[in-house]
Amino acid sequence: MVEKVKVRIDGEVIAATAGQTILEVARANSKYIPALCYMEGLSATGACRLCVVEVSGVARLVPACTTPVAEGQSVVTSTPQIESYRKIALELLFAERNHVCAVCVSSGHCELQALAQEHGVTHVRYPYSCPRLPVDTTHPRYVLDHNRCILCGRCVRTCAEIEGAHVWDVAGRGIGSHLVSELQRPWGEATTCTSCGKCVQACPTGAMAEKGWAVEEMTKHKTVVSRLTSMREGS
Amino acid sequence: MSNALAMALPRVEDQDLIDRIIGDQAGRPGALLGILEKLQDANRHKYLPMESLEYVALRTGVPQSQVYGVATFYALFNLDPQGTHTVAICRGTACHTRGSRALLERVKLQLGLEESGTADKLTLTTPDRKFTVRTVACFGQCALAPVVEIDHAIRGHVKEQALIREVDLLRKEAAR
Repeated sequence: MVEKVKVRIDGEVIAATAGQTILEVARANSKYIPALCYMEGLSATGACRLCVVEVSGVARLVPACTTPVAEGQSVVTSTPQIESYRKIALELLFAERNHVCAVCVSSGHCELQALAQEHGVTHVRYPYSCPRLPVDTTHPRYVLDHNRCILCGRCVRTCAEIEGAHVWDVAGRGIGSHLVSELQRPWGEATTCTSCGKCVQACPTGAMAEKGWAVEEMTKHKTVVSRLTSMREGS
Repeated sequence: MSNALAMALPRVEDQDLIDRIIGDQAGRPGALLGILEKLQDANRHKYLPMESLEYVALRTGVPQSQVYGVATFYALFNLDPQGTHTVAICRGTACHTRGSRALLERVKLQLGLEESGTADKLTLTTPDRKFTVRTVACFGQCALAPVVEIDHAIRGHVKEQALIREVDLLRKEAAR
Protein backbone atom coordinates (compact mmCIF):
# COMPACT_ATOMS: atom_id res chain seq x y z
CA MET A 1 0.00 0.00 0.00
CA VAL A 2 1.37 3.35 -1.03
CA GLU A 3 1.57 5.85 1.73
CA LYS A 4 -0.06 9.17 0.99
CA VAL A 5 1.18 12.41 2.47
CA LYS A 6 -0.26 15.89 2.42
CA VAL A 7 2.07 18.80 1.79
CA ARG A 8 1.52 22.46 1.34
CA ILE A 9 3.24 24.09 -1.61
CA ASP A 10 2.92 27.87 -1.83
CA GLY A 11 -0.11 27.65 0.44
CA GLU A 12 -1.97 25.02 -1.56
CA VAL A 13 -2.56 21.62 0.06
CA ILE A 14 -1.42 18.85 -2.27
CA ALA A 15 -1.73 15.09 -1.88
CA ALA A 16 1.49 13.31 -2.73
CA THR A 17 3.02 9.85 -2.46
CA ALA A 18 5.69 9.25 0.16
CA GLY A 19 9.11 9.01 -1.47
CA GLN A 20 8.40 11.62 -4.11
CA THR A 21 10.65 14.66 -4.05
CA ILE A 22 9.38 18.18 -3.59
CA LEU A 23 10.29 19.00 -7.18
CA GLU A 24 8.36 16.03 -8.59
CA VAL A 25 5.26 16.90 -6.57
CA ALA A 26 5.50 20.57 -7.51
CA ARG A 27 5.91 19.87 -11.23
CA ALA A 28 3.05 17.34 -11.18
CA ASN A 29 0.81 20.03 -9.75
CA SER A 30 1.94 22.79 -12.12
CA LYS A 31 3.91 24.63 -9.46
CA TYR A 32 7.01 26.03 -11.06
CA ILE A 33 10.48 25.43 -9.60
CA PRO A 34 13.43 26.13 -11.94
CA ALA A 35 16.13 23.46 -12.32
CA LEU A 36 19.06 22.78 -14.61
CA CYS A 37 20.63 19.52 -13.47
CA TYR A 38 17.29 17.78 -12.91
CA MET A 39 15.84 15.79 -15.77
CA GLU A 40 12.80 13.55 -15.63
CA GLY A 41 13.81 9.90 -15.74
CA LEU A 42 17.28 10.44 -14.32
CA SER A 43 18.46 10.24 -10.73
CA ALA A 44 18.70 13.61 -8.98
CA THR A 45 22.05 15.00 -7.89
CA GLY A 46 21.30 18.49 -6.59
CA ALA A 47 24.22 19.98 -8.48
CA CYS A 48 22.86 23.23 -9.91
CA ARG A 49 21.20 24.63 -6.77
CA LEU A 50 18.52 26.41 -8.79
CA CYS A 51 15.67 24.41 -7.30
CA VAL A 52 16.31 25.63 -3.76
CA VAL A 53 13.10 26.11 -1.76
CA GLU A 54 12.10 27.07 1.73
CA VAL A 55 10.78 24.25 3.93
CA SER A 56 9.04 25.00 7.21
CA GLY A 57 11.19 24.12 10.21
CA VAL A 58 14.42 24.01 8.20
CA ALA A 59 16.65 27.02 8.70
CA ARG A 60 18.56 26.74 5.41
CA LEU A 61 17.28 26.47 1.85
CA VAL A 62 17.05 22.90 0.55
CA PRO A 63 17.23 21.60 -3.03
CA ALA A 64 13.75 20.48 -4.09
CA CYS A 65 15.07 17.79 -6.43
CA THR A 66 16.67 15.70 -3.67
CA THR A 67 14.41 16.46 -0.70
CA PRO A 68 11.58 13.94 -0.22
CA VAL A 69 8.15 15.23 0.78
CA ALA A 70 7.03 14.68 4.36
CA GLU A 71 3.62 14.80 5.99
CA GLY A 72 2.60 18.30 7.03
CA GLN A 73 5.53 19.92 5.25
CA SER A 74 5.04 23.46 4.06
CA VAL A 75 7.11 24.51 1.05
CA VAL A 76 7.58 27.98 -0.37
CA THR A 77 8.98 28.05 -3.91
CA SER A 78 9.72 31.72 -4.28
CA THR A 79 10.78 34.49 -1.90
CA PRO A 80 13.11 37.45 -2.47
CA GLN A 81 15.85 35.46 -0.69
CA ILE A 82 15.35 32.37 -2.87
CA GLU A 83 15.27 34.48 -6.02
CA SER A 84 18.51 36.22 -5.05
CA TYR A 85 20.18 32.85 -4.37
CA ARG A 86 19.05 31.52 -7.74
CA LYS A 87 20.36 34.60 -9.45
CA ILE A 88 23.73 34.21 -7.72
CA ALA A 89 23.87 30.55 -8.75
CA LEU A 90 23.20 31.50 -12.37
CA GLU A 91 25.74 34.30 -12.36
CA LEU A 92 28.39 31.97 -10.94
CA LEU A 93 27.64 29.46 -13.70
CA PHE A 94 28.21 32.20 -16.26
CA ALA A 95 31.38 33.42 -14.56
CA GLU A 96 32.90 29.95 -14.33
CA ARG A 97 33.32 29.24 -18.06
CA ASN A 98 33.12 31.05 -21.38
CA HIS A 99 29.41 31.27 -22.09
CA VAL A 100 29.29 33.49 -25.13
CA CYS A 101 25.68 33.28 -26.32
CA ALA A 102 26.28 35.39 -29.42
CA VAL A 103 28.37 32.66 -31.05
CA CYS A 104 26.74 29.58 -29.51
CA VAL A 105 24.86 26.94 -31.50
CA SER A 106 22.28 26.70 -28.75
CA SER A 107 21.54 30.40 -28.38
CA GLY A 108 17.79 30.82 -28.22
CA HIS A 109 17.28 27.15 -27.30
CA CYS A 110 19.50 27.07 -24.23
CA GLU A 111 18.15 26.29 -20.77
CA LEU A 112 20.86 28.32 -19.04
CA GLN A 113 20.15 31.33 -21.22
CA ALA A 114 16.39 30.97 -20.74
CA LEU A 115 16.73 30.79 -16.95
CA ALA A 116 19.05 33.79 -16.93
CA GLN A 117 16.50 35.82 -18.89
CA GLU A 118 13.72 34.66 -16.62
CA HIS A 119 15.65 35.67 -13.49
CA GLY A 120 16.69 39.02 -14.90
CA VAL A 121 20.40 38.27 -15.10
CA THR A 122 21.35 41.25 -17.27
CA HIS A 123 24.97 41.20 -16.21
CA VAL A 124 27.32 39.16 -14.03
CA ARG A 125 28.55 40.74 -10.80
CA TYR A 126 31.53 38.41 -10.46
CA PRO A 127 34.78 38.46 -12.42
CA TYR A 128 34.79 35.93 -15.27
CA SER A 129 37.42 33.25 -14.78
CA CYS A 130 37.89 32.91 -18.58
CA PRO A 131 39.54 29.47 -18.45
CA ARG A 132 41.36 28.09 -21.47
CA LEU A 133 39.33 25.04 -22.39
CA PRO A 134 39.45 22.67 -25.33
CA VAL A 135 36.72 21.79 -27.83
CA ASP A 136 36.50 18.10 -28.64
CA THR A 137 35.57 17.68 -32.29
CA THR A 138 36.89 14.14 -32.69
CA HIS A 139 33.47 12.49 -32.85
CA PRO A 140 32.20 12.23 -36.43
CA ARG A 141 28.73 13.54 -35.63
CA TYR A 142 28.86 15.40 -32.34
CA VAL A 143 30.99 18.07 -30.74
CA LEU A 144 31.80 18.76 -27.08
CA ASP A 145 32.64 22.33 -26.15
CA HIS A 146 33.96 22.48 -22.58
CA ASN A 147 33.54 26.26 -22.62
CA ARG A 148 29.76 25.89 -22.50
CA CYS A 149 29.63 23.05 -19.98
CA ILE A 150 28.00 23.76 -16.62
CA LEU A 151 28.84 20.33 -15.14
CA CYS A 152 25.19 19.54 -14.47
CA GLY A 153 25.98 15.89 -15.15
CA ARG A 154 22.88 15.26 -17.25
CA CYS A 155 24.93 13.67 -20.04
CA VAL A 156 26.77 11.54 -17.45
CA ARG A 157 23.53 10.22 -15.99
CA THR A 158 21.78 9.85 -19.33
CA CYS A 159 24.63 7.76 -20.67
CA ALA A 160 24.98 5.68 -17.49
CA GLU A 161 21.32 5.22 -16.57
CA ILE A 162 19.48 5.17 -19.89
CA GLU A 163 21.98 4.06 -22.50
CA GLY A 164 23.98 2.01 -19.98
CA ALA A 165 27.31 2.86 -21.57
CA HIS A 166 28.68 5.27 -18.94
CA VAL A 167 31.09 6.91 -21.36
CA TRP A 168 31.05 10.20 -19.44
CA ASP A 169 32.02 11.18 -15.95
CA VAL A 170 33.27 14.22 -14.10
CA ALA A 171 36.98 14.16 -13.32
CA GLY A 172 39.09 16.37 -11.09
CA ARG A 173 37.73 18.49 -8.29
CA GLY A 174 36.79 22.05 -7.49
CA ILE A 175 37.43 24.61 -10.18
CA GLY A 176 39.41 21.99 -12.14
CA SER A 177 36.41 19.64 -12.53
CA HIS A 178 35.71 18.71 -16.10
CA LEU A 179 33.84 16.21 -18.18
CA VAL A 180 35.80 13.18 -19.39
CA SER A 181 34.99 10.38 -21.76
CA GLU A 182 36.57 7.15 -20.58
CA LEU A 183 40.18 7.74 -19.49
CA GLN A 184 40.38 11.30 -20.82
CA ARG A 185 40.22 9.86 -24.31
CA PRO A 186 38.95 11.98 -27.20
CA TRP A 187 35.23 11.37 -27.73
CA GLY A 188 35.80 10.01 -31.22
CA GLU A 189 38.10 7.32 -29.84
CA ALA A 190 35.86 6.26 -26.99
CA THR A 191 35.29 2.54 -27.45
CA THR A 192 32.18 2.35 -25.25
CA CYS A 193 30.31 5.19 -26.97
CA THR A 194 27.39 3.91 -29.02
CA SER A 195 26.96 7.27 -30.79
CA CYS A 196 23.29 7.22 -29.78
CA GLY A 197 23.24 10.97 -29.24
CA LYS A 198 21.28 10.87 -25.98
CA CYS A 199 23.84 12.95 -24.14
CA VAL A 200 23.59 15.64 -26.81
CA GLN A 201 19.84 15.87 -26.45
CA ALA A 202 20.09 15.88 -22.64
CA CYS A 203 22.63 18.72 -22.53
CA PRO A 204 20.94 21.92 -21.40
CA THR A 205 23.47 24.23 -23.04
CA GLY A 206 25.55 24.30 -26.20
CA ALA A 207 28.29 22.18 -24.61
CA MET A 208 27.17 19.18 -26.61
CA ALA A 209 25.79 19.66 -30.08
CA GLU A 210 25.40 17.93 -33.39
CA LYS A 211 27.87 18.96 -35.99
CA GLY A 212 26.64 20.94 -38.96
CA TRP A 213 24.62 23.58 -37.16
CA ALA A 214 25.43 27.27 -37.07
CA VAL A 215 24.72 29.81 -34.35
CA GLU A 216 21.20 29.48 -32.87
CA GLU A 217 20.41 26.44 -35.02
CA MET A 218 20.82 23.56 -32.56
CA THR A 219 17.48 22.61 -31.07
CA LYS A 220 17.28 19.78 -28.59
CA HIS A 221 14.51 17.38 -27.68
CA LYS A 222 14.68 16.05 -24.15
CA THR A 223 11.54 13.97 -24.54
CA VAL A 224 13.05 11.64 -27.12
CA VAL A 225 16.07 10.78 -24.96
CA SER A 226 14.63 7.50 -23.66
CA ARG A 227 13.87 6.24 -27.18
CA LEU A 228 16.76 7.61 -29.14
CA THR A 229 18.50 4.57 -30.63
CA SER A 230 18.33 5.19 -34.32
CA MET A 231 21.65 6.99 -34.35
CA ARG A 232 23.59 4.12 -32.82
CA GLU A 233 26.34 2.67 -34.91
CA GLY A 234 25.27 -0.39 -36.80
CA SER A 235 21.53 0.04 -36.26
CA MET B 1 35.49 -8.63 -26.44
CA SER B 2 36.87 -6.71 -29.39
CA ASN B 3 37.63 -3.68 -27.23
CA ALA B 4 40.07 -5.63 -25.10
CA LEU B 5 42.20 -6.41 -28.11
CA ALA B 6 42.59 -2.79 -29.09
CA MET B 7 43.68 -1.54 -25.68
CA ALA B 8 47.17 -1.35 -24.30
CA LEU B 9 47.46 -3.89 -21.52
CA PRO B 10 49.88 -3.64 -18.60
CA ARG B 11 52.69 -6.17 -18.43
CA VAL B 12 51.69 -9.71 -17.50
CA GLU B 13 53.19 -9.60 -13.99
CA ASP B 14 51.35 -6.32 -13.38
CA GLN B 15 48.15 -7.95 -14.60
CA ASP B 16 48.62 -10.74 -12.07
CA LEU B 17 49.19 -8.21 -9.33
CA ILE B 18 46.09 -6.23 -10.27
CA ASP B 19 44.03 -9.41 -10.42
CA ARG B 20 45.23 -10.35 -6.95
CA ILE B 21 44.47 -6.92 -5.52
CA ILE B 22 41.01 -6.95 -7.08
CA GLY B 23 40.44 -10.47 -5.76
CA ASP B 24 41.13 -9.32 -2.20
CA GLN B 25 38.63 -6.49 -2.43
CA ALA B 26 36.04 -8.12 -4.67
CA GLY B 27 32.40 -7.29 -4.17
CA ARG B 28 32.88 -4.77 -1.40
CA PRO B 29 31.04 -1.51 -2.09
CA GLY B 30 33.57 1.24 -2.66
CA ALA B 31 36.24 -1.35 -3.41
CA LEU B 32 37.67 0.82 -6.18
CA LEU B 33 39.37 3.22 -3.75
CA GLY B 34 41.15 0.39 -1.92
CA ILE B 35 42.17 -1.23 -5.20
CA LEU B 36 43.67 1.99 -6.56
CA GLU B 37 45.45 2.71 -3.28
CA LYS B 38 47.06 -0.74 -3.12
CA LEU B 39 47.93 -0.53 -6.79
CA GLN B 40 49.69 2.79 -6.37
CA ASP B 41 51.57 1.51 -3.31
CA ALA B 42 52.79 -1.48 -5.27
CA ASN B 43 54.05 0.68 -8.12
CA ARG B 44 57.75 1.46 -8.10
CA HIS B 45 57.22 5.10 -8.96
CA LYS B 46 54.09 5.42 -6.77
CA TYR B 47 51.68 6.27 -9.55
CA LEU B 48 48.80 4.81 -11.51
CA PRO B 49 49.68 4.22 -15.17
CA MET B 50 46.85 4.59 -17.68
CA GLU B 51 47.14 0.94 -18.74
CA SER B 52 46.60 -0.15 -15.15
CA LEU B 53 43.52 2.05 -14.81
CA GLU B 54 42.15 0.58 -18.01
CA TYR B 55 42.82 -2.94 -16.79
CA VAL B 56 41.17 -2.22 -13.41
CA ALA B 57 38.09 -0.94 -15.25
CA LEU B 58 38.01 -4.05 -17.43
CA ARG B 59 38.38 -6.44 -14.49
CA THR B 60 36.04 -4.75 -12.01
CA GLY B 61 33.39 -3.72 -14.54
CA VAL B 62 33.54 -0.15 -13.27
CA PRO B 63 33.24 2.27 -16.22
CA GLN B 64 36.59 3.74 -17.29
CA SER B 65 35.32 7.28 -16.86
CA GLN B 66 34.39 6.52 -13.25
CA VAL B 67 37.80 5.01 -12.50
CA TYR B 68 39.40 8.10 -13.98
CA GLY B 69 37.06 10.36 -12.00
CA VAL B 70 38.02 8.70 -8.72
CA ALA B 71 41.74 8.72 -9.58
CA THR B 72 41.68 12.45 -10.38
CA PHE B 73 39.38 13.52 -7.53
CA TYR B 74 41.57 12.34 -4.67
CA ALA B 75 44.87 14.19 -4.16
CA LEU B 76 46.29 10.89 -2.90
CA PHE B 77 46.49 9.41 -6.39
CA ASN B 78 49.24 10.30 -8.85
CA LEU B 79 48.88 9.83 -12.58
CA ASP B 80 52.55 10.67 -13.22
CA PRO B 81 55.67 8.87 -11.95
CA GLN B 82 56.84 10.25 -8.60
CA GLY B 83 60.38 10.93 -7.43
CA THR B 84 62.26 8.77 -4.91
CA HIS B 85 62.04 11.53 -2.29
CA THR B 86 58.94 13.59 -1.63
CA VAL B 87 58.95 17.09 -0.22
CA ALA B 88 55.43 18.19 0.66
CA ILE B 89 55.04 21.83 1.57
CA CYS B 90 51.93 23.00 3.37
CA ARG B 91 50.15 25.91 1.72
CA GLY B 92 47.43 26.29 4.34
CA THR B 93 46.63 29.70 5.79
CA ALA B 94 48.75 29.35 8.93
CA CYS B 95 51.78 28.09 7.03
CA HIS B 96 51.27 30.73 4.35
CA THR B 97 51.45 33.52 6.92
CA ARG B 98 54.62 31.96 8.32
CA GLY B 99 56.30 32.04 4.93
CA SER B 100 55.60 28.69 3.24
CA ARG B 101 55.55 30.34 -0.19
CA ALA B 102 59.22 31.31 0.26
CA LEU B 103 60.03 27.72 1.25
CA LEU B 104 58.29 26.40 -1.85
CA GLU B 105 60.03 28.88 -4.14
CA ARG B 106 63.40 28.13 -2.53
CA VAL B 107 63.06 24.36 -2.97
CA LYS B 108 61.88 24.77 -6.54
CA LEU B 109 64.91 26.94 -7.26
CA GLN B 110 67.23 24.46 -5.56
CA LEU B 111 65.95 21.54 -7.62
CA GLY B 112 65.57 23.53 -10.83
CA LEU B 113 61.83 23.03 -11.13
CA GLU B 114 59.57 25.18 -13.26
CA GLU B 115 56.07 26.25 -12.30
CA SER B 116 53.21 24.20 -13.63
CA GLY B 117 49.87 22.91 -12.48
CA THR B 118 46.94 24.72 -10.94
CA ALA B 119 47.16 27.21 -8.13
CA ASP B 120 45.63 24.96 -5.50
CA LYS B 121 47.62 21.84 -6.23
CA LEU B 122 51.17 21.69 -7.46
CA THR B 123 53.12 18.51 -8.12
CA LEU B 124 56.54 18.79 -9.69
CA THR B 125 59.03 16.00 -10.30
CA THR B 126 62.64 16.45 -11.32
CA PRO B 127 63.52 14.92 -14.71
CA ASP B 128 65.84 12.39 -12.99
CA ARG B 129 62.89 11.30 -10.80
CA LYS B 130 64.88 11.83 -7.60
CA PHE B 131 62.59 14.46 -6.08
CA THR B 132 58.91 15.32 -6.13
CA VAL B 133 57.83 18.64 -4.68
CA ARG B 134 54.15 18.97 -3.94
CA THR B 135 51.86 21.35 -2.11
CA VAL B 136 49.38 20.21 0.51
CA ALA B 137 46.26 22.10 1.59
CA CYS B 138 46.83 21.51 5.32
CA PHE B 139 48.54 18.91 7.53
CA GLY B 140 46.42 19.84 10.53
CA GLN B 141 49.54 20.86 12.43
CA CYS B 142 49.06 24.61 12.20
CA ALA B 143 50.75 25.24 15.55
CA LEU B 144 53.98 24.00 13.97
CA ALA B 145 53.71 26.32 10.95
CA PRO B 146 55.36 26.34 8.53
CA VAL B 147 55.13 22.57 8.10
CA VAL B 148 57.06 20.52 5.56
CA GLU B 149 56.80 16.78 5.14
CA ILE B 150 59.97 15.10 3.88
CA ASP B 151 59.59 11.43 2.95
CA HIS B 152 56.55 11.07 5.23
CA ALA B 153 58.24 12.64 8.26
CA ILE B 154 56.63 15.88 9.44
CA ARG B 155 58.93 18.82 10.26
CA GLY B 156 57.59 21.85 12.08
CA HIS B 157 58.85 25.45 12.32
CA VAL B 158 60.89 24.89 9.16
CA LYS B 159 63.43 27.55 8.28
CA GLU B 160 64.67 28.11 4.74
CA GLN B 161 68.27 27.18 5.54
CA ALA B 162 67.27 24.01 7.40
CA LEU B 163 65.10 22.90 4.48
CA ILE B 164 67.90 23.53 1.99
CA ARG B 165 70.27 21.46 4.14
CA GLU B 166 67.79 18.57 4.38
CA VAL B 167 67.19 18.49 0.65
CA ASP B 168 70.91 18.74 -0.06
CA LEU B 169 71.55 15.82 2.27
CA LEU B 170 68.97 13.70 0.46
CA ARG B 171 70.44 14.72 -2.88
CA LYS B 172 73.91 13.64 -1.84
CA GLU B 173 72.54 10.37 -0.52
CA ALA B 174 70.75 9.80 -3.80
CA ALA B 175 73.93 10.54 -5.74
CA ARG B 176 75.92 7.97 -3.77
